[in-house]
Amino acid sequence: MATHSEHTLYSISPRTDLRTAFVWIAIGALIVFGSWRMDRLEHQGAALHSAPGLWPGIIGLLLALLGMVLAWRSIERARTTPWNAALPDDTVLVPAWRFRLATAMFFTYALLLVGHGLPFWVGTALFVTAFVAVFRRADRIANGEAPHPRKDLLLAVICGAVTAVVVSQVFEKLFYVRLP
Amino acid sequence: MFDGIVALGHSLGTFLDPLSIGLILLSSLAGVIIGALPGLTATMGVALMTTLTIKMPSNQALLVLICTYVGAIYGGSRSAILLNIPGTPASAAACLDGHALAKQGLAGRAMGIATSGSVLGTMIGIFFLALFTPILGGLALKFGAYEFFWLAVFGVVIAGSLTGGDPLKGWIAGLVGIFSACVGQEAIYAFDRFTFGSRDLAGGFNLVPALVGAFGFAELLIAVREKAVPVKVDPFDSVIPRIADVARHWRTILRSGLIGTFVGILPGVGEDVAAWSSYAAAKRASKEPEKFGKGSIEGLMAAETGDNACVPGAVIPVLTLGIPGSAPAAVLMAAMLIHGVRPGPMIMIEAPTFVYDVVAMMLFATLGILLYGLTLTQLLIKVLMVPKPVILPIIFVLCVVGSFAIASRLFDVWVMLGFGIIGFALRRLGYPVAPLVLGLVLGDLMEKSLRRGLVLSDGSLGPFLTRPISVVLWITILLVVLWKIPQFRRLFMRKAAVTS
Repeated sequence: MATHSEHTLYSISPRTDLRTAFVWIAIGALIVFGSWRMDRLEHQGAALHSAPGLWPGIIGLLLALLGMVLAWRSIERARTTPWNAALPDDTVLVPAWRFRLATAMFFTYALLLVGHGLPFWVGTALFVTAFVAVFRRADRIANGEAPHPRKDLLLAVICGAVTAVVVSQVFEKLFYVRLP
Repeated sequence: MFDGIVALGHSLGTFLDPLSIGLILLSSLAGVIIGALPGLTATMGVALMTTLTIKMPSNQALLVLICTYVGAIYGGSRSAILLNIPGTPASAAACLDGHALAKQGLAGRAMGIATSGSVLGTMIGIFFLALFTPILGGLALKFGAYEFFWLAVFGVVIAGSLTGGDPLKGWIAGLVGIFSACVGQEAIYAFDRFTFGSRDLAGGFNLVPALVGAFGFAELLIAVREKAVPVKVDPFDSVIPRIADVARHWRTILRSGLIGTFVGILPGVGEDVAAWSSYAAAKRASKEPEKFGKGSIEGLMAAETGDNACVPGAVIPVLTLGIPGSAPAAVLMAAMLIHGVRPGPMIMIEAPTFVYDVVAMMLFATLGILLYGLTLTQLLIKVLMVPKPVILPIIFVLCVVGSFAIASRLFDVWVMLGFGIIGFALRRLGYPVAPLVLGLVLGDLMEKSLRRGLVLSDGSLGPFLTRPISVVLWITILLVVLWKIPQFRRLFMRKAAVTS
């Protein structure tokens, strides 16, 4: 679906696009399979056009079809450009460990620290304090600034405490919302 | 006509109590700050505010959401001008000339232009919102299941075509959204689909946690992954808008306001397309096109007027058809449904005054951005200087609490996390998220309309293809899809060249 001159416009390489195309084809096929196997409720007098699997089946089919078009386009692109050719991305990224650690902290908070017996404000204070402390220090190291461990820890504790108290009070007392 | 003016006057009066004024001031401020902070978008702001206002009376909750929406679209221009980083995707066009003016020591004047453009753009959009909504509402009463099916398809196809640079990926994202809406009990027989025996999944994905995930958590992950740019703001001149700038560019303001409103009315397109379209039109019409990108006042005025005019424009199809004009409008529509307001063709019959309430909310939101545009500069700069490690965990806490608040169940927090990961992965792979949201919001309407239509026609596709409005819609969809296929476009151009 692209001319030679348009090849340079893509920000994702043909190889990555081809891989994701296979994922879409697989997901589309699974949806079609699941829809086909779905009860058609004929015993309840349902006609074929009102069967519960009709609509998801159509969507699965279209998804698989567009996945095939994406796969074909990736192969076409790869005929004239290298498999890993993509527009240069000028975004400056942080080291991978920072991203992984932050994501792990997000998931730990959402899946373990709240909703499992620990009071909400305690879990929130712990999460915010740890996040601010770790990443403020990491920022200072990355920017070549002088370390201020006590100052950063104090800031982290204040952020954690203020967030925990304010969010708890505002949601519960002002918006009458239950907290996890 | 006079009934409308009286109803608007009444609606304006209902928001003149101290609580409403306080809410306008706070939510506009929150919107401007969310918009100004790079990485936090209007959609995320409206989604988070929806969760905060879940227990409020509907009119107050929607007032907060509309003020946040208008404030966030305006706030994005601040970081665009001062830091050359668009606070929201809608203000990317404002970076070009806004930051160029700032580098010339005219950041204050640029912010004044952004304020005047935003305020006037919103006013133009509000005018058409008040004028068109009752008319379109009457027209929409002629729509049946067949027309609604095509209209919903149109929304997802247009969103896929125009948001992001790759229509094929946009349409795939739209299909993912539509499929997500299929999960759970279907509407006719209450049959469980793709639930794998889970009682939580039988209820389907709650819209707000899914939106908070796809926009809020996904944006947080992107913000964590990207290195923060050091914030350095040079001294600048007065931010008070100059009457001469407005008077000299009245044509640009009017043109951009009309373009912005029209783009807003198109289902699923949104503010960034409105800003770029207005900018491109202003450049084409300008006597000094060479100045665009180098600090053109006309360019900045066009971009800011266009994206803000799009906000009321995007609300028009929400109110008249129940189809959102942009991603934040999709969240706003979800919030309306949560609060018991049924947007769609029946609104002028079921709740005729509600349309004027929305117009009044928009007017107050405009006053809010005007107030903060004139006064908030120093505070905003301080907010922009708050380090990312302090802001990100607080936003995440709000994402978690907000998702839980909708139905007090942890499953919604997992939905938020799941959609966040999907949204993040899709963005990294070059897929736009707006079509996914449109698919999620419109999937239910699409399926219900298709199945209802098929039941009415006893399984025949005839009415879908032959009824007058349906014909216009499916031919338009077909042309949009074909136009996005380069081979077809080349063939068409070649034929047109031969003919001419």
